[in-house]
Amino acid sequence: MRLSHHLALLGTALVCLATPVQAAEKAEVLHWWTSGSESAAVNEFKKAFTAAGGEWTDAAVAGGGGETARAVGVNRIIGGNPTTAMQFNTSQQFYELIDKGLLQPLDAVAAKDNWAKVVNPVVLGAVTRNGHIYAVPVNIHSNNWLWFSPAALKKAGVEAPKTWDDFFTDLDALKKAGIIPLAQSGDSWTQQLTFFDVLLGAGGTELYLKIMKDHDVNAVKSPEFKKVADILSKMRDYLDEGMQGRQWNQAISLVISGQAGFNFMGDWAKGEVVVAGKVPGVDVGCIPGLGKSSYWIGGDVFVFPKQKDPNALKAQELLAHVMLSPEVQVAFNNKKGSAPVRADVDTSSMDACGKAGLQLLASGAFVPGSDMLIAPDTDGSIHDLIGTFFTDKSKTSADLVDGFAKIISNL
Amino acid sequence: MTEATDSPGSWAGGTSKSATSAPVDAATAGAADSRAKGGLRGTEPWGPKPTRITPARIGIYAFLVVAALFFLMPFYVMVITSLKPMSEIRLGNLMSLPDAPTVEAWVEAWAHACTGVDCNGIQVGLMNSFKILIPSVILSITLGAVNGYALSFWRPWGANFIFAVLLLGAFIPYQVYLYPLVMMLSYIGLYNSLPGIVAVHTIFGLPIMTLLFRNYYAGLPIDLFKAARIDGGSFWTIFFYLILPMSGPILVVATILQVTGIWNDFLFGLIFAGRESQPMTVLLNNVVNVTTGVREYNVNMAATILTALVPLFVYFISGRWFVRGIASGAVKG
Amino acid sequence: MKLRLRDLTAQFALLPTWAIVVFAYIGTIAWSIRISLSSSRILPSDDFVGLKSYYRLFSTDRWIISVQNVAIFGVIFIIGALVIGFLLAVMLDQRIKGESLFRTIFLYPYAMSFVVTGLAWQWILNPSLGLQQMMHNLGWESFTFDWLARGDRAIYLVAFAGIWQASGLVMAILLAGLRGIDEDLWKAARIDGIPTWRVYLHIVIPLLAGMFATALVLLATAVVKVYDLVVAMTGGGPGVSTEVPAKFVIDYLFNRQNIALATAASTVMFIAVLVVLTPLLYHQYIIGRRRAAA
Repeated sequence: MRLSHHLALLGTALVCLATPVQAAEKAEVLHWWTSGSESAAVNEFKKAFTAAGGEWTDAAVAGGGGETARAVGVNRIIGGNPTTAMQFNTSQQFYELIDKGLLQPLDAVAAKDNWAKVVNPVVLGAVTRNGHIYAVPVNIHSNNWLWFSPAALKKAGVEAPKTWDDFFTDLDALKKAGIIPLAQSGDSWTQQLTFFDVLLGAGGTELYLKIMKDHDVNAVKSPEFKKVADILSKMRDYLDEGMQGRQWNQAISLVISGQAGFNFMGDWAKGEVVVAGKVPGVDVGCIPGLGKSSYWIGGDVFVFPKQKDPNALKAQELLAHVMLSPEVQVAFNNKKGSAPVRADVDTSSMDACGKAGLQLLASGAFVPGSDMLIAPDTDGSIHDLIGTFFTDKSKTSADLVDGFAKIISNL
Repeated sequence: MTEATDSPGSWAGGTSKSATSAPVDAATAGAADSRAKGGLRGTEPWGPKPTRITPARIGIYAFLVVAALFFLMPFYVMVITSLKPMSEIRLGNLMSLPDAPTVEAWVEAWAHACTGVDCNGIQVGLMNSFKILIPSVILSITLGAVNGYALSFWRPWGANFIFAVLLLGAFIPYQVYLYPLVMMLSYIGLYNSLPGIVAVHTIFGLPIMTLLFRNYYAGLPIDLFKAARIDGGSFWTIFFYLILPMSGPILVVATILQVTGIWNDFLFGLIFAGRESQPMTVLLNNVVNVTTGVREYNVNMAATILTALVPLFVYFISGRWFVRGIASGAVKG
Repeated sequence: MKLRLRDLTAQFALLPTWAIVVFAYIGTIAWSIRISLSSSRILPSDDFVGLKSYYRLFSTDRWIISVQNVAIFGVIFIIGALVIGFLLAVMLDQRIKGESLFRTIFLYPYAMSFVVTGLAWQWILNPSLGLQQMMHNLGWESFTFDWLARGDRAIYLVAFAGIWQASGLVMAILLAGLRGIDEDLWKAARIDGIPTWRVYLHIVIPLLAGMFATALVLLATAVVKVYDLVVAMTGGGPGVSTEVPAKFVIDYLFNRQNIALATAASTVMFIAVLVVLTPLLYHQYIIGRRRAAA
């Protein structure tokens, strides 16, 4: 291993001597994008990086919303053989790596490419720690979408909802018409997503930030939060028994085919709509945050672990530059179904739902996603609480408030 | 060695008897007929092939057929799903036969499914899987056999301690070992390499392999070994000339356990093998374990069946020795 | 003793094993106990916070539920796999036509990745997709089978899938044992006029004790480490009602980034196994001494 490593270095050195101009910047990139559309999207990075003189080595690991890939990446760092770049969610997942000095700061690239001006402030804030920038944000995903089937609503004789009261009227009508009112997946992360959609839509951004950002226990015990818990509690009456064992894509498929009325899911649900041959915003309706509309910002970033080889920094900076360049941002995000992190790019090719989201972004009605505000450990406790609440009807909305208050007060 | 050869003689006799009287397929069953003297009723083991159909035999076949149908239920779902196009699967009739069967998903899984930036299917990892499998199986079994032999006959210093630790170790979820093992292997320069992943498989195969061989050897008569020692046999002489020739069956059992375990491993391959040596299961995972991307169930099912073909083939060719194998050692133990 | 020199060879032959036992097993166990007493999150850190993670562990509902579940799962899974494996082995031992086909059918679940076979089970057991729906379509409207959706029943289905996966292996081990039994025993039993079922119960099963023990150890390690089954079948749900200890450890190790809590949980599991195994190991030790003395 060591020997071959030296040989490789020697080889690189020789190549450099012979053809100094063509020395490729090698980058091994760890990510968890492996499905057809994801693969096409990440290929845009590869193409652009290669065109800029880099050499992309792909290290893809799927599974568990990226946890397997992150485990591999951290083990590679511990083993002293880190990858050139590594994907994380736009969250606190990589803060400890920053604090232990394991990640390369990107201040130079950021200054040169003027990130401070062009990148969405929430996203930029999430990759900034102690005044330094440590990651390239590549996309914005939004969790708080309510998808509906216009055909199913028509059949039930109701309109798309504007308020939470409308929503329950629709649910009742759908139930009466023999249509699954609310398609929900049994995976606990999707239940947590639904919870945050209700918190943000019914409670508003102020309540959301008080609880998630300021960790204010009194806000959890407020009447506003109780109302959120009540809505969630009432929603359980409109779930069907097929929930358990249903994955998110099967839930949205029920809406696409008109077998179900509504589904809470992130903007990646568009991928399923498109491959089913339907048009988002037409055949399947989308509401960005029912009630108090706002845009939940999540997404993905790439960090650059510090390397032993000083030449690696060049590849890292080149990759960071390429990933955020305007053309690549558009090409990548169109394929990925997410929004670009830059506000100054051409978005005319986006669908109706994407444009509705961009409007919210432009109007400033956005909040950082919950995992930017809390550690993965706390996020896990919320998972367990919400998952139990969703599936155990003996738990009342007061129980939910108590459980949530306990988690927040421990912060 | 007269005493020694005498006493294994009786043991070996036992083996050969159980071997020939343990037909595995119907095809070889005839060989045992001479032994099974007439007059036995069909419900009793070791009876002759029944010439009449009795209610009891109908019951046995009914039980086996029902059990087999039950066992095959998920396989049925997997096969029919792999033969459907996604448009049909999305409609939700998952239990019904395909309207228009197609093998497209199988071709896709083998050669075109995306596993990252590249979309070359799961075949990419096939050779790597073999490169990991063969040395890992050989090394872990060798070590397990030597251990079992040393522990059960020589009882060296610390034998019980080693055994106790290994047995306990078999119960710990191995994910907990990852960090310290990464640090250790990195320290000795084996991290992210083929030798590294072989070492890891050997380490984690050790408890069960040691247990298996130790229990098997514990079933062999100790007098045999004592005689060989009195005749001046050394540790390795006795191992190679007396013990190993008797280990054929248990070696096959061990091979089957290790082939299944190592072939199906995904986590160790991912973390220890290095990017150049990633096994097929890592690619399988990348096909199957999509979270927010679009899921293709038909390709997932086909890829899973394709990946399982190697262990299934090993079961198939070694079935008769597998069964014959465990027979001789254990019952005496 | 004269044999000391040869003992030395045996000692040398065990050197690789010693290295593995000391570094890979004792070393990592000690490491994980140490980490469980620190405040480590993603990366190991070397501070000392005492039993903090253990307090948190035992005040976490999910851990308590996990422990209860693994007990329920373990009992059903082990008994079920042993009984079904034994029945299959006995049935296959009756000079069956196409035995190799049956044997392969019963063994195949062991060869396949449970990530996907679990998905197939999930579909079959899902009330609105699988068996229940199929029966409704066939006109049996009152047929209900919704255990997968019920928090109090889903763990039984996980055990059921586990039995499906493991009983083929038990069958193979026990079938091998049955094949090793001297046929004279059957002749003798027949001459004495003992009914077949009594021969199995009172003679064959005791003779197979060693094989049952091997199968039991394999099943027991599977119980303690059960993870794939739960992830693929229920993901721990509904809610947290089918969570198990190994999943707790792995979730906190990777996704939830709290390796102190994860190692605390694994240490507790380790101690529990130690408590159960010590008497058994002691028993083995006594037998070993007798064997040496003989």
